[in-house]
Amino acid sequence: MGGPSVLDLVKLPLTERIDLSGYYTPPAAEHIIPATSSAHADKKFVKSRLIPDRPLEEGEQYRFHFDATKCIGCECCVVACNEQNNNPADVTWRRVGEIEAGKFPDTKRLYLSMGCNHCLEPSCMSGCPTKAYSKDEKTGLVIHNADSCIGCQYCVWNCPYGVPQYNSERHVVTKCDMCSRRLAEGQVPACADACPEGAIEIEIVNKEEWRKDHRLADSPGMPEARQTISTTRITLPENVRSEGVAVSDYSVRPEHAHSSLVFFLCMTQLAVGGFISLWLTDLLSSAFSFFVLPRTALMPMAVGMFTAAALSLGTAVLHLGRPIMAWKALRNLRSSWLSREILLFSWFSVTAGAYAALFAADAFGVYSVSQTLRLLSGGIVAVSGIVAVLSSAFIYMVPARPSWFSPVTAYRFLATAFILGSAVVAWLMAIAGGQAGMLYFVTIAGAMVQLMILTRHLLHIASSDSSVARELRGTARLLTVNFRRIFSARVASLIAGGILLPAMVIILGPSLSPASQVAIGGFITLLLLFSEFAGRYLFFVTVVPKNMAGGFFHGK
Amino acid sequence: MASNPFKHLPAIIGLDHSPEKYSYANTEEWGIIAKEKTADQWVRTTCGYCSVGCGMYIGVRDGKAVSVKGDPDHPVNYGKLCPKGLAEHHFLNATNRAKFPVLHGARVSWNEALNVMVQQFQGVQIKYGNDSLGVISTGQLVTEEFYTLGKLVQLGFNTRNYDGNTTLCMASAVSGYKRSFGSDGPPGAYEDMALADCIFLVGANIADNHPILTCWLQANENPNKHLIVADPRATKTAQMADTYLPLKPRSDVALLNGIMHLLIRNGSYNKEFIAAHTTGFEEFVRSLEPYTPESVSATTGLPVQILYKSASVIAQARALFVAWSMGVNHSDQGTETVNAINNLCLMTQSIGRPGASSFSITGQCNAMGSRESSCTSSLPAYRNYESAADRADMARLWNVDLAEIPDKRGFAYPDIIEAIMQGEIKALWVIATNPLVSYPNQKFLKDALSRLEFLVVQDCFHPTPTTELADLVLPASVWGEKEGTYTNSERRVSKANKAVSPPGEAMSDFDIFLEISRKLGVVEKIYPGWRTVADAFNEWRQVSKGRLCDYSGITYDLLEKVGGVQWPFKEGEDLSTAVNPRRLYGDGMFQHDDAKAKFFAVENKNMPEMPNGEYPFVLNTGRTVEHWHTMTKTANVEILQKLSPEAWVEMNPADAERLGLKQGENVRVESRRGSIEKIALRITEIIGVGQIFIPFHWFKTNANNLTINAFDPYSREPNYKQAAVKVERASQ
Repeated sequence: MGGPSVLDLVKLPLTERIDLSGYYTPPAAEHIIPATSSAHADKKFVKSRLIPDRPLEEGEQYRFHFDATKCIGCECCVVACNEQNNNPADVTWRRVGEIEAGKFPDTKRLYLSMGCNHCLEPSCMSGCPTKAYSKDEKTGLVIHNADSCIGCQYCVWNCPYGVPQYNSERHVVTKCDMCSRRLAEGQVPACADACPEGAIEIEIVNKEEWRKDHRLADSPGMPEARQTISTTRITLPENVRSEGVAVSDYSVRPEHAHSSLVFFLCMTQLAVGGFISLWLTDLLSSAFSFFVLPRTALMPMAVGMFTAAALSLGTAVLHLGRPIMAWKALRNLRSSWLSREILLFSWFSVTAGAYAALFAADAFGVYSVSQTLRLLSGGIVAVSGIVAVLSSAFIYMVPARPSWFSPVTAYRFLATAFILGSAVVAWLMAIAGGQAGMLYFVTIAGAMVQLMILTRHLLHIASSDSSVARELRGTARLLTVNFRRIFSARVASLIAGGILLPAMVIILGPSLSPASQVAIGGFITLLLLFSEFAGRYLFFVTVVPKNMAGGFFHGK
Repeated sequence: MASNPFKHLPAIIGLDHSPEKYSYANTEEWGIIAKEKTADQWVRTTCGYCSVGCGMYIGVRDGKAVSVKGDPDHPVNYGKLCPKGLAEHHFLNATNRAKFPVLHGARVSWNEALNVMVQQFQGVQIKYGNDSLGVISTGQLVTEEFYTLGKLVQLGFNTRNYDGNTTLCMASAVSGYKRSFGSDGPPGAYEDMALADCIFLVGANIADNHPILTCWLQANENPNKHLIVADPRATKTAQMADTYLPLKPRSDVALLNGIMHLLIRNGSYNKEFIAAHTTGFEEFVRSLEPYTPESVSATTGLPVQILYKSASVIAQARALFVAWSMGVNHSDQGTETVNAINNLCLMTQSIGRPGASSFSITGQCNAMGSRESSCTSSLPAYRNYESAADRADMARLWNVDLAEIPDKRGFAYPDIIEAIMQGEIKALWVIATNPLVSYPNQKFLKDALSRLEFLVVQDCFHPTPTTELADLVLPASVWGEKEGTYTNSERRVSKANKAVSPPGEAMSDFDIFLEISRKLGVVEKIYPGWRTVADAFNEWRQVSKGRLCDYSGITYDLLEKVGGVQWPFKEGEDLSTAVNPRRLYGDGMFQHDDAKAKFFAVENKNMPEMPNGEYPFVLNTGRTVEHWHTMTKTANVEILQKLSPEAWVEMNPADAERLGLKQGENVRVESRRGSIEKIALRITEIIGVGQIFIPFHWFKTNANNLTINAFDPYSREPNYKQAAVKVERASQ
């Protein structure tokens, strides 16, 4: 329509002109709106292929690239993954975490969608006792073989990202394999295929270059990539690389109690400590008069402790998802402490059994055992036991579980051995009419070590220092809030049974009647058994594993 | 049946790890997928959740739905689905599907159920008058069923008091469109989002609520693409914005007026278009005078600079796309807010051009079909009750006496509830909706429903909170178990198909309506010769012929072929263009009698309940991406439940600190109307000081215990988005 418009004829208000052009400049000066969009023409929204367009070369592997600037937190990837793999809802190979930064209204909400990071140094694989994991030679993908898996879940403890997940229907662990079957056929993995924004894609990485510089795998809400050299490349908005808090961080959830492992650890440690105490008494009774060793007590005690060790080894098998496959756990002596632990405890059982057999032979008069042989073989049992206990500890000393990842775990396991072993032997000696009250010095020393370790744990709670990992603060919070009662009882019984009562026996010593020595010894044993079992239970439930960020309800 | 006690033994001792269940198979259609998800048959259909209207396939094996896949060829979603769609088949096998008619808690035959229903309804109508029967339907049925139900209610039961739950979600869009353009009908296409240089989302959190629409934003290759998001809450969608406008609750009209004030003063309006195709401009401009940047800044809480910038972006946009959703509609000033948006689009001529539209993003999968064909707020095909010509048209098309065509709309949904309270309505038929979660001010609703003489609830789930109150429950089939069409937000009609049989004796809503018409003795009058939904569709095509929403060229065959067609598509149009995007009003000819669009002078009104010392927070309600409305469907999908297990309340850290509340603890929320006794507190910077947010899906922690029953005067849509509440630590 040309000429003056009708509007020019009416006098409109708002005639005071302003010029808006200075407030915003479009990036492109000239842009014609097309008649139709390429989305209709191409019949797709996401333009990139999402998978590499060339085969892998030497020294390369596949990896995920996740673009947080595109992700809208819709969780399509999670649902698509579960549909693709027929997984039940409580197993989600892909998870979406949420990070928040900034102040309203300049809030930054960030989502992290993660499957397996297909690490260069996969700790799931090195820890696996059955060699169920492999790093595919061709693709570099970390592949888990359900046939080999015995469901020990040691990989779950080892992975700092919470990637391997136990499927309670299958009794094995399962994990993301980047839809390796689809990839091999040139098909896009389910998560990447489902993402409406094209935020997930598969790309190729040169392993050696990535090993040198993998900063692009780090992000708020993700454990440090250097631990296992995660290969997932994460693209973050410029201003969020360093700040941002996972919205799941506020809450820590108790972990599984693993009751069969609580029993296994306490009983094997009791047996090891018991044999050491027995050997000590044997050794010292020849030199000092305050150790009196009735020879008749030796056989039942040795056999009893051997039985305890063997029984607890059997119980440990119940911890496995597939107990009947337990034998497979010896497959990975090269890198799995679990395999080594099984071997070393088996060896300990052999030596303990032989030691017990010696006493049996002596008791039944089949063979008279010389003191030298007794002391020598007892020494072998003691050393084997300590090595086996240490191997147990090494299982738990994994970087992905900060409250376990310390030599302190070895000290506390050894302390348990000395506390329980000395108390039990001292008591049994009292029953048999011997004198082994001085063993309580060992008990007291062990209890002091245990108390120092507990105090150290508690110090983390007072610390708001960000250098103390949130996982350690979480452990302290679980101990003092969620499990306050058990924790208090554990400490009280340790002080009473591990320090006060043993000190009383040592001080009053000979003035106590044999009957009251037996009674007090029994009470000490009961208190300490309770205390150490409770302590080991707390050890499992209060560990806060490293993990990627979760959603708000992740910890509830 | 004694189960084998040793069945699980191999798994327990570790011999069996179910390798078969977790194996894979290569399929021709989708490549390698889990073997248990492979199908004998892939049934093409349309998603039954929201109004985006995504095309998909249902995988059927041995008569059971085992899988779903996005339709790679569907012009709405090109293969993508949201998390709900990706797991949609799961609820078909839910244990709480309604399987048999249930009368006062006891299973009865269909024959008895429908006899009792008709007898009770007619008894009430004889005693209290025809209009003492109320009908509340839904946006969940297929268009054919809406059309069929409309005839049944108006011509069979002869009551005018019939409305849909769509009044709870998009009625203000309808009223706003009608006032501005003379008719309902969103003028644009999704593609506009991919073409526009300015996309302005007002109260629309598409990332959570319509995730697949974000694909259209992503597909925008315009170098000047600029997304403005106005929302009081820093939603996922706000994170995508180039310019985020964190306006105070209920200040959207002020914001829009403020922007338009600046546009006028910048000379950014299309004089020729306004002169030729609109009325009311002068008065409208006058109404903008007080909306200076300073006063708008005070009302909205937005800095003046950001107002100038937003206006500048819009002023320079060659294609402006303004879309809104429930942030606008769920307001007792919703209709007027829609008019303000339409004002903006009219003055910039952002209508009917590629990339330019005033666009309502609606809620349910077939809210649009309900709007067009259901005979609730208007006669079918956007005809007006008040128009003698339209009534005559309907009488002719339906071959009935003119006197049988109502000349006035009956009560809208909230007025039906009010009329029950007043004793005017004595019997109620609720179809495919769950007011005991979704209606504002639950206390009032429950009080009203308890006064009914007879309540019939027709649903595919039982029990639901609403079916538990029913005298009679009629079991209906659901998405995936029946055939028909859905019309989406961009007016695209897509086909929904039957993949599996409904459980037990459940029947499609269409068949239920036909059965009822037989009981009423009107089957031959209102459904002459009808057997299937195709008969209803063909009649509907004729009824819509020549109207704005012209379906006459759309056939089932065409839909099966191209996946979805936007109306209007007239009989005889070139079939090869069927799938192309279509826009309304490209010729500037609107639906008012003078063919012009109207400007409206709109003043920003306060919310119905302002916070005060006792109830200091403004409660905002909305959705989360994992769940659908009242969760009758998604509560049965384990993965969605795992991802979003319970409701929460969002609160700013400053407020939480002041109240001494801790992250994750349970709080109690109370309004003047009711309370939520225990709900998890999420302390977050997503929400501003003085506001809280609660998602509305959960019955146990029902946000609608708190919301206010205040309604828009034009649309009767409830004001869900603001209510005054207080928050305190929950008692343990």
